[in-house]
Amino acid sequence: MSELGSIAILLSFFITLYSLAVSAVAARTGNHALALSGGNGLLSVAFLLIVAVCCLVYELVTLDFSLRYVALNTSTDLPIIYRITALWAGQAGSLLLWSFILSLYVAFVVLRTRRNSTAPYVNAVLCAVSLFFLFLIAYVEDPFGKLGTVVGEGRGLNPILQNVYMAIHPVTLYVGYVGITIPFAFGIAALLSGHLGDEWIRNSRKYALFSWMFLSAGLLLGARWAYLELGWGGYWAWDPVENAAFMPWLSATAFLHSVMIQERKAMLKKWNMILLITTFFLSIFGTFITRSGIVSSVHSFARSDIGPIFLGFMIVILLFSFSLLAYRSKDLRSEERFDSILSRESAFLFNNLLFLAAAFSVFLGTIFPILSEAFTGKKILVGPPYFNTVGVPIGLVLILLMGIGPLISWKKASVANLRRNFVFPAVVFLAVLLALLVFGMKEPVALISFALCGFVASTVFLEYFRGLRVRTARGENTLLALFNLVLRNRRRYGGYIVHLGVVLLVIGITASSLFVTQKEVVLGKGDSFSLGRYDLVFRGVHYISNDAKDGFSAEFSIENSGKNVATIYPEKNIYKYEGNREINQETEVALRSTFRDDLYLILSEVDVSGRVNVRALLNPMVNWIWAGGVVIVLGATIAMWPERRRKKEFSA
Amino acid sequence: MKAKLKFIVPLVIIAFLISWLVFAGVRDSMVYYITVEELLEDVPDVYGQKVRVSGTVVHGSIKNELDESLQFTMADGKEKIDVEYDGVIPDIFTDGVEAVVEGSISTDNIFVADLLLAKCPTKYESDEARYQRKKG
Repeated sequence: MSELGSIAILLSFFITLYSLAVSAVAARTGNHALALSGGNGLLSVAFLLIVAVCCLVYELVTLDFSLRYVALNTSTDLPIIYRITALWAGQAGSLLLWSFILSLYVAFVVLRTRRNSTAPYVNAVLCAVSLFFLFLIAYVEDPFGKLGTVVGEGRGLNPILQNVYMAIHPVTLYVGYVGITIPFAFGIAALLSGHLGDEWIRNSRKYALFSWMFLSAGLLLGARWAYLELGWGGYWAWDPVENAAFMPWLSATAFLHSVMIQERKAMLKKWNMILLITTFFLSIFGTFITRSGIVSSVHSFARSDIGPIFLGFMIVILLFSFSLLAYRSKDLRSEERFDSILSRESAFLFNNLLFLAAAFSVFLGTIFPILSEAFTGKKILVGPPYFNTVGVPIGLVLILLMGIGPLISWKKASVANLRRNFVFPAVVFLAVLLALLVFGMKEPVALISFALCGFVASTVFLEYFRGLRVRTARGENTLLALFNLVLRNRRRYGGYIVHLGVVLLVIGITASSLFVTQKEVVLGKGDSFSLGRYDLVFRGVHYISNDAKDGFSAEFSIENSGKNVATIYPEKNIYKYEGNREINQETEVALRSTFRDDLYLILSEVDVSGRVNVRALLNPMVNWIWAGGVVIVLGATIAMWPERRRKKEFSA
Repeated sequence: MKAKLKFIVPLVIIAFLISWLVFAGVRDSMVYYITVEELLEDVPDVYGQKVRVSGTVVHGSIKNELDESLQFTMADGKEKIDVEYDGVIPDIFTDGVEAVVEGSISTDNIFVADLLLAKCPTKYESDEARYQRKKG
């Protein structure tokens, strides 16, 4: 099967090269047959890469240790599911996955845009991006490369990667990263062809939203994985690899908002191109950071040869895209101007600037060690305090804008408009603030953050309420009215749901980062300690032994005002398997999770007499973060759900 | 002109504020990333100063008693320092791994760390050499 896989990859590379050539010619000459041929080439590439991925999965599942990739990432005792997910555990496999996901997107685009006059331009750009990744897997990091020596056992997969979140988080993130390529291709095709209307935005908006949704979900799944598996009590550490995925998310969020201005007002055209190029650049940069090991991270990297190639590719992207943009610059003038600073346009503009500023400061913080080494010869890191100092104020203003943007009027807001829309949210803001002060909360950041969340939630509520009132006045019952309201204007009301999800997320992040209580205790059997509203009683250590691991689990009864509410078992395990001796320990945290707080127990040490050292954390409202993620995905899905056919809409 | 000015002024203010945040953030959180050798060269200037140091955990040096903080020795070439740390120990922290600690060195030449990271060798594969070594 490995020969078949290699052949499929090589063929993909050459067919893509062919498609690039004929698409370019078709774009210049308008030759329809050539355009079609280029598109068909890309369809066949998608098929070939499906074959290649299947081959690699087959080799991983059947454990063909003659292949380097298989030997390095699997072992005989690895369950089937993790043999499959080993596809993205290593470098070559990840790059194959990148190309594969891209080819699926491309096939979808080719099938949907066959009749568009700009299709060959779009295809040519997509070919160029695909070629880069196909070149890497065909010539630099061959997933089907031979190991060279005969081995009876593979190196295995790190136990902390054997987790359901780790199985889905990378793919989710990749679907997001890779998807950015599609709007980028549409944008560049518009620049190349000179068809600079908003057609390219209409054609690519949903792909942008789709990728954004996957980026969001991927980031949160990664955070959840870190929270459950890394066992330090938190979910986000401003690690370079985390930042790498966060940056394109920030600029993609800015882009999703500013395209609305271009659609409605034909403004910000150049700006949108800049955002799009930036987002694509950041998604490649993210892959580069994760894959090249240029910045050291908790997730350590391969020191591989692909660093310089990536760097070259990124420089080409920037030079090519921005010179093209400069060339078309005069055709991208806005048709309208900003009239007033109190308008929806300027709320969006400030939203954009702040998102970009946030992306830039994360970028700066991430590459700071490289910059400082280049300029001063000394490696200087900036830690989480840097990101918090910069990020928190920007984040708070963005939340404020999230409340203002949807309600303020276009062009120029009148006093009447402001009064009509903002009196209620402002009252809610003050009410939340006062209530929290009365309950004794003193943390200024938390006070502002929660009050702003109240502000935004009430604007969303107001918008729903108004929409509903119009419908119920016509005699629809409330539930039906709600259903129809969302159905008829999915982008708008789906967008509001996303905003609500963000509110939940922000509440969770604020509470869980500012109000953690933690304790480290040494306990003998029968000892107890209290943490917040809970009392924890240590019931003793159990010894675990099975085929895969040896370990200890400590039994804890959780009591709340004298009543036993749960029993949890933090564990410390030693994996038996020989193939991956370097990493054989795994601390499995125990969690009792409610919407009020998470009780998080880490078993640090067990001694021979059965005493334990335990670190316990009470993290408030972490579940709100995950709930916010679910709501965001729901809202985004509604916003991009295809509109029904006209005929049905009338009969509905 | 007046209309434009209305935008330019707030934009300049925002740009200024953000630059100031970035500057303040860098100033307050910057940490030199050095090796054990560089750390010891800077003694005594470096006493009490917050730094991040990388090195390899010396085989057999890890002491982790229930009631005490974690102690180990970190080496880099010929130079060594003793490290003391209170906090969550990463699973992959063991003899021979590359560790990164952040904290400061006290006058009795013990490095008191408030952050401990260990480099994870298999998140992404490193090289075949590692594999071969494991076999042999």
